Amino acid sequence: MRSHLLVLLLLAVLALLPQVAGQYHLTLMIPFFAYGIALLGFNLLFGYTGLLSFGHALFVGIGAYAAAAITSKLGLRSFELILVASAVGAFLVAIPVGLLSVRYTKIFFGMLTLAFGMLFHSFLFKFYDITGGDGGMRVLRPSLLGMDLSTLDKTAFLTGPFYYYCLVLLGFAGLAMWRMVNSPFGLHLKAIRENPRKAEYLGVRVRLYRLFAFLISAMYCAMGGAILAVSTGLADPELAYWTHSGNLVFMVVLGGFANFLGPIVGAFSFIFLQDQLMSLTQYWRFFLGATLALIVILFPRGLMGLLQDLGGRFRAAEAPAPQRISHELGTERVNP
Amino acid sequence: MNASRRKILKALGATAIASPFISFPALAQSRSLKIGILAPKGGIAGTVGECGLRGTLWAVEKINAAGGIAGRKVELVVEEETNPKDSIERFRKLVLQDRVECVQGVVSSGVSLSLGPAAEEMRALTMFWDGTTQDGVKETMPNPRYVFKSTDNECEAVMGSLLAIKYWKGKFATVAGINPDYSYGRNNWAAFLALLKRFGIEARVVAEQWPKVGTLDLTSHVAALKAAKPDLVFSSLLFADLPVFMKTAYGAGLVDGTKFVFPAAGWQHTQLKKDFTPEGMIFGHNTLYFDLPNASPLQREFVQHYYDRYKDYPHWEADRAIFAMQVYKAGVEKAAKAKGGAWPSTEDIINATEGVQVESLGGKGSMRKDHIAEQTFYQGITTHKNRYDFPTLGTVDAMYSEQIQKPAGADFWTWIKSAQFKI
Repeated sequence: MRSHLLVLLLLAVLALLPQVAGQYHLTLMIPFFAYGIALLGFNLLFGYTGLLSFGHALFVGIGAYAAAAITSKLGLRSFELILVASAVGAFLVAIPVGLLSVRYTKIFFGMLTLAFGMLFHSFLFKFYDITGGDGGMRVLRPSLLGMDLSTLDKTAFLTGPFYYYCLVLLGFAGLAMWRMVNSPFGLHLKAIRENPRKAEYLGVRVRLYRLFAFLISAMYCAMGGAILAVSTGLADPELAYWTHSGNLVFMVVLGGFANFLGPIVGAFSFIFLQDQLMSLTQYWRFFLGATLALIVILFPRGLMGLLQDLGGRFRAAEAPAPQRISHELGTERVNP
Repeated sequence: MNASRRKILKALGATAIASPFISFPALAQSRSLKIGILAPKGGIAGTVGECGLRGTLWAVEKINAAGGIAGRKVELVVEEETNPKDSIERFRKLVLQDRVECVQGVVSSGVSLSLGPAAEEMRALTMFWDGTTQDGVKETMPNPRYVFKSTDNECEAVMGSLLAIKYWKGKFATVAGINPDYSYGRNNWAAFLALLKRFGIEARVVAEQWPKVGTLDLTSHVAALKAAKPDLVFSSLLFADLPVFMKTAYGAGLVDGTKFVFPAAGWQHTQLKKDFTPEGMIFGHNTLYFDLPNASPLQREFVQHYYDRYKDYPHWEADRAIFAMQVYKAGVEKAAKAKGGAWPSTEDIINATEGVQVESLGGKGSMRKDHIAEQTFYQGITTHKNRYDFPTLGTVDAMYSEQIQKPAGADFWTWIKSAQFKI
């Protein structure tokens, strides 16, 4: 109950943010929403199913290029159509990729997804006539719910209607994911993560459920990619490059993959951390890397894990001794 | 008394013409003039961005010492150019948070191609150092309002090809290319072949190599070129991969008896040491050749300053950065003058900048009405007869960009077929 209230409070804060925050920080919130949605899907595979992909930028790229193809090539501007096309495109590509990849686990799964990601990147880079090559493809401003917003300047569009659209989208994507991970389907995934052999013995169709998780994560990433592309105005091969896949992993680890909200917190922290570091020093990559190393060494459960620990200690200090034990146990149980 | 005053005014006028950094005497402005710089600081283009930034710092030092731009001292806000997505975010920071009045910089065409429309949509005055909004050789923003672009990417390839024809026509029968695997490299190679055809040279292509940008193991590419035994190698490699290529080619014996055309080698000129870089190559320094025999006093001063401070010699990115600052300054001061010294609006500055002429390090330059720069390009044949540990130009050719750049609105390939080239 308390966590539900906290989420509602966060959504309310995000809804009020355009009234108080500067325009630049509001434009940074668009990639936050994009990565938030993408990482909710990514973490279904990583945090809940136990499969770490190093190639999910492939699906972010599919979403971005779907947006480019629909707006620039087909001349259609509906963002709802873009979202559907992104998800369908990612679903179709994820079927063969997922079928081949989920036969493996651990490093083999990671390497295979990395290979498929790089294959797609090479396709984007080499097939100039279709994809625009290194220059990418323009993404024109879409309409939202049938409303043509071309009269607004780009900043007003991003910090106004598109901001709220993405916020609502993140809310629905989060709700859908919450229902999934707390359903029997989610329990199957967690069982597979904990012990695939035992899960199989109990009748769980391990590969099929892994494939489902892969397909859903691909669709979430593609929707995130579509939002990113609208914000940038371009779909370019860098979005599908392996370093971008690495960023997805970084964000999830930063926020904490063992917590439902971890990826969203990770996306937010990464974007604003990178923003600050890039302004402060040209060695920002070094500090980002050092941050990741510190997080992994000192706080392996990420920022959300740290917050939970701090919250647990605070409550433990407040509560009488017998209740302290039950709270600590409760904290342990929260983790998926 | 009158004669004396006339003399002083004449002298002041002459000084203003001689130094593009002398300020137009506008009303004194108390606010500083914030200018954003977006330049690469790391990766394969890191040293390129650094050189441009050093050029900007020098220009701003001089401008501020002379009173600023139309009376306002320049204050720089520097952000890093990386990939298109992150670069657009840094651009937004400069415009929305730092409230800069003009953004300058950008080296990568991949970034400028996406940044151009973003700048237009944000109505932010932007001047690219080395970026275009070309998709290949096709202009995607033929009539921008807020974006001013550099010369077209393929200028250096056209000039390098023309010089190859000028010096070596009839002396080669087979050609090979090793060019970076992206639109710049592909277009340069295609332009070279198109110009050979235009001049009736029936050269046979014996090898085409496309290393990925920044690849530092070029052994297999060099082996393929060596096996093909070309008379001439055309290469638009321009990043840190170029010195590696030269070392590998030298080690493999590819340089013996082979002619080389490097239209964009200037970015690496001090890294291409005499030990492994032969004489007699066509070598492009783009819009700044640091050792130009008849260089302007401005260039001499800058090169000396650059050497004294950084113990290095500048390449063309410094000139592009200084050119962008000069064009902006000239546009602002022209607009301010038209308004009687009052600070002009962005729209006034844009109108005044169109068609403006400046004297940059490498010579005269101007900004076309379609917001594409025109500058002087330098290439020539390399020599080892110098006081440096790297080759310089023994023979220097200069071409103004109207000779090697397609006119406003023209299709590049049609222009190649019909242009009147002077070689």
